[in-house]
Amino acid sequence: MAFSTTVSQRKHIKRKAPRGFLKHVFKRQKPHLRLETSGDLLVHLNCLLFVRRLAEESRMNAFESKCGVIKKEHVQAAAKLFFSPTQPELRGMKENC
Amino acid sequence: MAEAMAESYNRDSEPTTRTLLRRVLDTADTRTPRRRRSARVSAQKALLETPSSRRLSSPTKMNVRRRSHRARSIGRLAHVHTSGNLEEQTPRTLLKNILLTAPESSVMMPESVVKPVPTPQVVQSSRRESSRGSLELQLPELEPPTTLALGLLAPGRRKQRQRLSVFQQGMDQGLPLSQEPRGNGSASSLTSSLNLTFATPLQPQSVQRPGLARRPPTRRAVDVGAFLQDLRDTSLALASPGDSLRTPVATLPTDTVLEDTQPFSQPLIGRSPSVYHSLPCLSHTEAEDAERAVSHRIQSSGPRLQNHNPGKPTQLLAGKAKKVDALAVSFPNNSSAVSGEDGVEPLQDGVGEEAEERMEESLSVSKVMATTGTQGSVRMEKSKGHREMTEAAEAKEPEGSSGASPELASSTTEFLQARQPQFLEPAPPPSTAVLSSEPLEPLSTRLPPRARTPGPRARTPGPRPRQDPHKTGLSHYVKLFSFYAKMPMEKAALEMVEKCLDKYFQHLCDDLEVFAAHAGRKTVRPEDLELLMRRQGLVNDQVSLHVLVERHLPLEYRQLLIPCAFSGNSVFPAQ
Repeated sequence: MAFSTTVSQRKHIKRKAPRGFLKHVFKRQKPHLRLETSGDLLVHLNCLLFVRRLAEESRMNAFESKCGVIKKEHVQAAAKLFFSPTQPELRGMKENC
Repeated sequence: MAEAMAESYNRDSEPTTRTLLRRVLDTADTRTPRRRRSARVSAQKALLETPSSRRLSSPTKMNVRRRSHRARSIGRLAHVHTSGNLEEQTPRTLLKNILLTAPESSVMMPESVVKPVPTPQVVQSSRRESSRGSLELQLPELEPPTTLALGLLAPGRRKQRQRLSVFQQGMDQGLPLSQEPRGNGSASSLTSSLNLTFATPLQPQSVQRPGLARRPPTRRAVDVGAFLQDLRDTSLALASPGDSLRTPVATLPTDTVLEDTQPFSQPLIGRSPSVYHSLPCLSHTEAEDAERAVSHRIQSSGPRLQNHNPGKPTQLLAGKAKKVDALAVSFPNNSSAVSGEDGVEPLQDGVGEEAEERMEESLSVSKVMATTGTQGSVRMEKSKGHREMTEAAEAKEPEGSSGASPELASSTTEFLQARQPQFLEPAPPPSTAVLSSEPLEPLSTRLPPRARTPGPRARTPGPRPRQDPHKTGLSHYVKLFSFYAKMPMEKAALEMVEKCLDKYFQHLCDDLEVFAAHAGRKTVRPEDLELLMRRQGLVNDQVSLHVLVERHLPLEYRQLLIPCAFSGNSVFPAQ
């Protein structure tokens, strides 16, 4: 993977983590738990990596179907890898990393 | 040593004060150990108070006071005094120390200031003493000579007083002498003496608490009218998008809704997602120019829209139609018809029909919105219409030349503005009629659902808070998804991504709960996060969590997460 932190940001991707949003989500899901201060940054990191993996996977699916546009089916297929059995995904992850 | 310095000081400084002080030293009586006690009370205050016990002649006292005003460091005096043997703390030594610490070139206070100063100083010092409950100094309070002597008490205090008196004299020229000496009964007899200068009333309080000495704040009369006007302008600018959002029949999709909290950024952000949504239809090279121009124009038109009436929707239409035409870039033959009016004809050709249809849609949209009479809804409808258009455009592979798109866009905007009145009147071609009806229907069908999910300032505040901030937060990650994908995406795909994110967050919270419970904790800590990432395979023996943090997070977050050693044997963040 090319780790370039400076990309030609035409789309002005915000690099800030929506910390309030993450805390809010966590609170809503698990009100009896507390999230530590730096924890939500790591959650954001996790989200970033998840989204990145998902996007790469969907892109590969779209390429395989020789489609120039990412469609819902591609994303669905990619998501299946993440949310059902984890072993095959882990294997895929280890390859990526 | 001190005496030698004092001698030298005497020589160097103004003869009047210092020689007088020398005289004082020579003539002064050595005091009893009372001073010792006062010295012990507080280092500085001891210095200040002990001189009071001395019965010095008034002129010399005045001079001494003058010098003490200039005395810089009471601390030095304190040191000298406290360090020295208590037995030796005679007024003589004290005065010598005053001489020591006083500046060579003593800034002589103007006589007018000096004279009244002693008396109020005396009063203040008396007050201070009384406040402090100092000891033998109670006695001489009301005696003029002793008051003068009291003035000698605190050279530093006197200095402060002096400074304050001068300062306040200057500043309080215009201020009323409201601050009369605090009702000090004991000093009532002396208050008359305080009236010597208008500055003195303010001194007592400030002297008693020198740290709180403050000039009464000079407040300019606020131009309330201008202030309210500014308030109204800002609130108008803030509220108008919100109002327009509240009233409309249809509301923007939540991720483009204009939120209350960030009224200025939201309109732009609200529009930019729509820009971005339409963008994926184009190849990046083409899209960039058009997109930037469009976003600029839309952003510029946004604030304008807030303040203008539906006359402006045409501009927005133009801006949006420009996007539409950017979408229609796929038809290269449009490049030939770049000129304003000519753009009509080529667009009216087979290729142009689509642009026409889109423009028709947008115009019909604008018609619908004009009837509703809300700009925000116009914007929203535009974005809706654009979504449809983008989908329609996606159906047709965009080919287009990058060069044509900006020109075309600009030209089409112009002629769009010109054509809009024409559009409304002439009977649209059947295809466009069909198409116009189509977008109208889905739009109309969308309106009620949008009405059900109102915008941030909608009428029903109930369902709003639940969905909108959530979607706004998710939209951040959705944008990141589209950025990482580097490919055009369907809107359905984006919604799918949102669902995936929701599921992902649920899984994440569940896992974190399990991990925290496993560790017997009720707080989720970074170790749980690391374990989660390890289980996901992101972190392994080759790649550590810190490596990932360094790779993907900006520097500020990295500083917060990874402990780093700093100077002074400190580590941040603390472990």
